[in-house]
Amino acid sequence: MTCQEAKPLLDAYLDRELGADDTALIAGHLESCGMCRQYLEQREALSRLLQRLPYHEAPATLRTTVGRARSSTVARRQARAWMAAAATVVIGAASVLGWQRWQASTATSGLASAVVSRHVESLAGSQLIAVPSSDQHTVKPWFQGKLEFSPPVPDLTPAGFELVGGRVDRVDGRPAAALVYRRRLHIINVFIWPASDDARASDARTIRGFHERHWTRHGMSIWAVSDVNEDDLTLFARTFDPE
Amino acid sequence: MSDRTFDAVVAPHLDAAFNYARWLTKNDADAEDVVQDAAMRAFRFFASQRGDNPRAWLLTIVRHTWYARVAQRSTRPQTAEYEEMSDPRTGDQPSPETLLLQRQTVDRVRQAVESLPVDFREVIVLRELEGLSYKEIADVAGIPIGTVMSRLARARERLLGLLGPVPATGEI
Repeated sequence: MTCQEAKPLLDAYLDRELGADDTALIAGHLESCGMCRQYLEQREALSRLLQRLPYHEAPATLRTTVGRARSSTVARRQARAWMAAAATVVIGAASVLGWQRWQASTATSGLASAVVSRHVESLAGSQLIAVPSSDQHTVKPWFQGKLEFSPPVPDLTPAGFELVGGRVDRVDGRPAAALVYRRRLHIINVFIWPASDDARASDARTIRGFHERHWTRHGMSIWAVSDVNEDDLTLFARTFDPE
Repeated sequence: MSDRTFDAVVAPHLDAAFNYARWLTKNDADAEDVVQDAAMRAFRFFASQRGDNPRAWLLTIVRHTWYARVAQRSTRPQTAEYEEMSDPRTGDQPSPETLLLQRQTVDRVRQAVESLPVDFREVIVLRELEGLSYKEIADVAGIPIGTVMSRLARARERLLGLLGPVPATGEI
């Protein structure tokens, strides 16, 4: 493959949007071509810079307005369909229920957001990995004496997830084991701490563009977060915890 | 259609909707208006047109809403106000110099992105900030996947031209 053929595909290669054949061709070309490697490295560096841009979260006022406006649309619709007197009661109840639900979903997302924040911070900082190793038998014992629990550290290489290392982290004030896996250019952080009673059983979210999978297993609360596509993260979670 | 289903489907993507709108409009007030209008439209069409990808669906509506507003107005506000972003790194205490450098870097990158033509800007935001696939970006922006690929490549080229060589780590 020549540079001329490779160049139009390099961005798609970076974004993991190429098929297996093209990916292999580009990977082969990159080994011998410094120019294209540099092209790619510049874009990776640019991508890391862009990750640091402010993410504009919806203001609380907007959430409230959207919730209210929606309720009033429901109200208009129902008023047309039903008798006015009966509708008034129903709308009142529906609005209150909708509002409570809205607030509840906002509250439970707190921990999920904290996990994503730690993921982003770990990538921006210099302390992503305290124990660099692709060997689960090096990483797992490393946590001994540093945490009051022993996190699972599975070898996921056969599924295409390479163990890079681990570190001790804190999420929302609690000590956590953080495992770092890699799938091509994408980093996956796995945060683990002992589950408390209020932990939710399992959960899938997308926050600020990052996908997140959360589940509880053997008394551990496990959170995987990454910018890999959703299918890959689902596969990761399933491979991490096959049961 | 139930109210609860709308909440469950749309509420998780309200941040994405606002972030996208904020990068399109470049100011908070307009972004709020756009997302509010978009949410109303989304609610109206919820039963009929949702599809299986609620995030891309909502972002598409945000985009249509914004374009409709721009078309309506002859002038649109260009003043980009910008609130300070708090530095996310709290674990390791960086020096004031480092903090300043980081803030300058983020500010330069933000200015570069905001200076891009809107069709370049939106593919960068959808890909790099929202992590959408090419297919999803194609759906949201209403363009073929091949165009997504070439537009993204050109947008990155333009950004690198504006920012100069980017070191693998650290500040620019």
